[in-house]
Parts: sequence; structure tokens; C-alpha cells
Amino acid sequence: MSGGVSTTTVERKTVGARAGVRPAGYSLVRTRFGARRVSFLLHRRAAVVAVVLVLLLCLSCVAYLSVGESFVAPAEVLKVILGQPSPDELVVGTLRLPRMVVGLLVGAAFGVSGALIQTVARNPLASPDIIGVTQGASVLTVFAMTYGVTSFTVLPYLSVTGGMLAAVLVYVFAWRGGLHATRFVLIGIGIAIALRSLTTLFMTKGDYLVAQQAQVWMTGSLNGRGWDEAAPLGWVLLILLPAVAWAAYAQRTVSLDDSTATALGVRLGHVRLGLVLLGVVLASVATGTAGPVDFVALLAPQIARRMTRTAQIPLLCSALLGAVIVVLADLLARKLFAPTELPVGVLTAAVGAPYLIWLIISSRTAGAGK
Amino acid sequence: MSMSMSGSGGTSRLSAHELTLAYDDRTVVHELELAVPDGRVTVIVGPNACGKSTTLRALGRLLKPKSGSVLLDGAELASIPTRKIAQSIGLLPQSPSAPEAITVADLVSRGRQPHQRWWQQWSEEDERAVTDAMARTDVTDLAERPVDELSGGQRQRVWIAMALAQETDLLLLDEPTTFLDIAHQVEVLDLVRRLNHDQGRTVVIVLHDLNQAARYADHLVAMKEGRIVAEGPPSEVVTADLVRQVFGLHSVVVPDPVTGSPLVVPGAPYHPTNGADAA
Repeated sequence: MSGGVSTTTVERKTVGARAGVRPAGYSLVRTRFGARRVSFLLHRRAAVVAVVLVLLLCLSCVAYLSVGESFVAPAEVLKVILGQPSPDELVVGTLRLPRMVVGLLVGAAFGVSGALIQTVARNPLASPDIIGVTQGASVLTVFAMTYGVTSFTVLPYLSVTGGMLAAVLVYVFAWRGGLHATRFVLIGIGIAIALRSLTTLFMTKGDYLVAQQAQVWMTGSLNGRGWDEAAPLGWVLLILLPAVAWAAYAQRTVSLDDSTATALGVRLGHVRLGLVLLGVVLASVATGTAGPVDFVALLAPQIARRMTRTAQIPLLCSALLGAVIVVLADLLARKLFAPTELPVGVLTAAVGAPYLIWLIISSRTAGAGK
Repeated sequence: MSMSMSGSGGTSRLSAHELTLAYDDRTVVHELELAVPDGRVTVIVGPNACGKSTTLRALGRLLKPKSGSVLLDGAELASIPTRKIAQSIGLLPQSPSAPEAITVADLVSRGRQPHQRWWQQWSEEDERAVTDAMARTDVTDLAERPVDELSGGQRQRVWIAMALAQETDLLLLDEPTTFLDIAHQVEVLDLVRRLNHDQGRTVVIVLHDLNQAARYADHLVAMKEGRIVAEGPPSEVVTADLVRQVFGLHSVVVPDPVTGSPLVVPGAPYHPTNGADAA
């Protein structure tokens, strides 16, 4: 390793008599920036799964852009994506692509958000759509709708505010000299129920048309979403990217029990607050854009973890899987009962609800996940 | 190398002063004074709910004192960043839990946490410490096995390996033998003694078995109802009187046939012929 130019090495653990012990299944990525040594542990299986999911996502996207009221050959789709002139420019580039990008970003945001909140709560059932975050977003949004606010540029801010407020409420009630994981989930479920009934109240009070519009929003729909929604969401996610990178590391430190983690020098309170905050912001932003697309935040991290078999929920794979789920679900939502379009949330719920039941039944012990 | 009297001659990096500990309003430990002798094995012993585990948790900053203080190198524990403490004090709680499907090597590596940063996740130093810790606890062959699949004794050795990988001068163990059979109990305690002997680490163990405590301690601390009843070398501390006072048990104390340390033999068990006059 000569100084100056940075050399990056990826090392596989070699099994031999004198080889040192490293976390099994990880590869060591080492490099140096000037004098500073930098090293990362990379889970090999998770890396492979991520590559597979990227390919799957690409396929899903091409399928999404091809299928619709009129079929567009994948070759033409690729042309449009690459910016070459094509007769299908309007259908693919203007109508389908922006909506797909929104779906993709929303799915990724929900995936990461679910992963973070499940990690902190140490409970696979804890996701923003269970503990009240999306319900908080709904309340404020529906409230605004009933008072005549319909602009999709204002509503997202309201949902973010609502989601954050709900999270603060859960945090305050669950805090008792410390954050107890189970209490956090149970309080969250309680607040979610309360907020949901509040939403229903606003909907019954509001006029019929507004209620119907709010109903569609509340099932989670990508209908009518385009670049206007994709751009702000994309920016927010980009800005949050360093935080997500930190979270991927911090997650590892909170996966042991409280006493052990504290004994290892982890500032549990701070780390948990940081992770929850990030999860809440992501879920709120996503909800603000597409409504509460149910079960994505619950499903994606759990499936991703089963695929990677890592000790903690893999963030990147959760994001990719969330994106795949929403893109595919919206493809089906558009096509299944064409020309009637279903809200994408109906599809994700149809898959998610049975999965939720399976998850509970198949838990080896009642306290699994703790 | 006999320790002079009540341990006041040696140095102590970790100590408690007027330490009062409480859960909500229930005070569990009352104005406790304790100096953990450096380089020795201290065993805190006592009946259930005497506050021994609570004391250990406070020594490892897992529990904030209601009043009084715990000092590490003269500084109040509460004033030292938790990561800094973790570079000096390792603590294994009573029933630690690992994430599902984590492998042995991965779990032991978590012990390096206080020496790592997010951009410095693995160094040669980490590798050496983990390899060494696993070799000492004899879990090297289990490296790639999931922790859930191990037996109780193996699992406990893995947890101890994790605490060892932390490479702290002070090691606090909360009832490390609780769920183990007798052979594994002895194995774990022998391991702890060996670590203390080979590396001069200061060890504090909470145990409820008085005979084990007497066998393995250099410095024995007997607690009852949140107070220290007696402390010192086991040969001086463990007497029939103390056993009655602390555990409320009638016994005879004889020299252990193997080690010569005090061995507590409880009074005659219930039997139909002597049942009438049992106290």
C-alpha cells in the first residue's frame, strides 16, 4: 500500500489454521483516505441479494412501462428511457414513467422506514403503518381536504407534520425514563386506532365528494402522480441518504439487548431517537406523496431479512424490495380491472394482510422478535 | 501473595461511595461503600433480592444511583462518556439476548464496538482481540454456527468471549453460571480465574452459591438487604455465624477437601426421625 493513491481491497475470510476470526459471512472492504484508514464490513449474501433485487427492479420497471392500456414493446421502452426518439414517447415517458418513479421512491422510503422502526422496536410488527405514523399523516391531510385544500403541493407538508406529531405523541406516552420496545409498539397501536377514528370523523363531517377523494388518498394511490411529486420526494431522499448510511451502521449497535448494548458503550437513547426520527420522516414523506400505501413498510424489511439471513434488517435490500413491491403492485392495480384503476394500497394490503397473519402464526415463540 | 487484611492495602480503580440504589421508590441498596481491589476476583454473594445484581449494574453504569456515586479512576461514572467507560469496564448482564440467526463470530465481534467507528468497522486490532477471546473461551470451532443452536454452556462461553473481546481491565459478570449445569458452572468459573491470573484483569462476579463464591473469590463481599454484611478473604469471612446471619441457614463450615477454602455444609435435612426437633 503506497501512500497518496488510495487502494481498496476486498478480502474474503480465508479459512486456515492461523487466520484470524472475523464475523462469519462478511467481507472486509479496506481503503485509506490519505493517512486515515477506513474499513467496512460487507455482508456477502446481502450484497448478492441486493444485486438480484436491482435486476428484479429493472425488470419490473420495464414491465411497468410496457404494460398498460396499450402495450409498448420493451425495446421501445428502453429507447424512451435512453432519450432516443420514439413514437411511444408520450405514453411511456410522459404518462407512465413519472408515476413509476413516484412509486419506486415511495416504496423505497417505506421499506427503509419500516426497517428502522422494526429495528428500534425489536418487533417485526412495528412499522409506521401500525404505530400511528401514517395515521397521523392521514388525519391532518383528510382534515385539510374537508376544508377544501386539495393541492398536492400543500398536502405533503401536512402529512409530514401529521406523521411527526403522531410519532412525538407515541414517544411521549411510551417514554418512562427510557424507551421500552413493547410499550412503544402497544402505545403506537393505540394511538393509530384513535387517529383512525378521528379521520373517519372528519370524513363523515366533510361533504360527499371530498370524502370520496379522501378515501382514495387513504388507500394509497399513485393515480395522477407525476414529476411534480417525484422531484420533491427525490430531493428529500437524496438529502437523507447520509443519515440512512449512518443508520445502516447504527442499526447493528442496537440489535443486542439494552444492558449489553449500553455496556458496549452505545448511547442507546440517542441512537434510537435518531433511527426513529429518520424512519418517521421517511414514512411521513412517502405518505404525503402517495397516501398510506399499507403493509409495504411491514413487508419489505421482513422479506428482505429472510432473503439475506443477516442478524439485522438490511436497509438497502429493504429499500429495493419496497420499490419492487410498489412498482409491481401498481402495475397490477392499473391492469387487473382495467379500465378501472385500483388504488395501489388495495393491492399491497391484499398481499400484506395474509402475510401479517402468517408472520404471527409462524413466529416460533409468542415473543419472537424480542 | 496473601492479601493483607481487608484489602485496604491494594489499589482500586472502581469504587462505590454512599451508593444508594432504587427502582422507582423502592430502595434496594443503602449507602454502600465498596472498593473493588485491582487485579483480583471479587465475588458478591447473598440471598435472592439482596441487591447484589443491582449493585453490579450500578458499578457498570447500567443503573443511575439515587444518591452517592460510583468512581472510575477517581471520576464519577455519570460524568464519563459511556463509550469511554466501555473501554475500561466490560459487563455481561444476567440474561443477554442476541438477534436471531447471528453467528458466534459475529456476536463476539460486537465486543469490539467501543473501539470502532462507523468508518473504521474492522481493524487488525479487532481481529486479534476477537481471535484471542474466542481461543481463550474455546469457541473458535463454533465461529460460523448460529448462536441460537448452541447449548447453554456453549452460549455462555460465547457471551463471555464477547465481553473479553472488549479487552477491558475490569470485567463485571452478573450470575454467569445461573442456567448452567455443574460441569459448565465450574468450567466458566475456572475460565474467569484463568483470565484473572493470565492477564491480571480485575473481575467482579455476582453469584448466589456461597460455596462457589468461597472457592473462586480473592475478595468476598456478602450482602443482605442492600447492605454489606462482611467482606474480605473467604477464609476469614465465611463462618457458620455469617451463613446464619446472611442466609438464615444453620450450617457447619469445614475446609474444602480440594482447595482448603471454607465449605458450607447445611444442617441435617428433614428426616422423619429428626423432623420434630428441626429448627
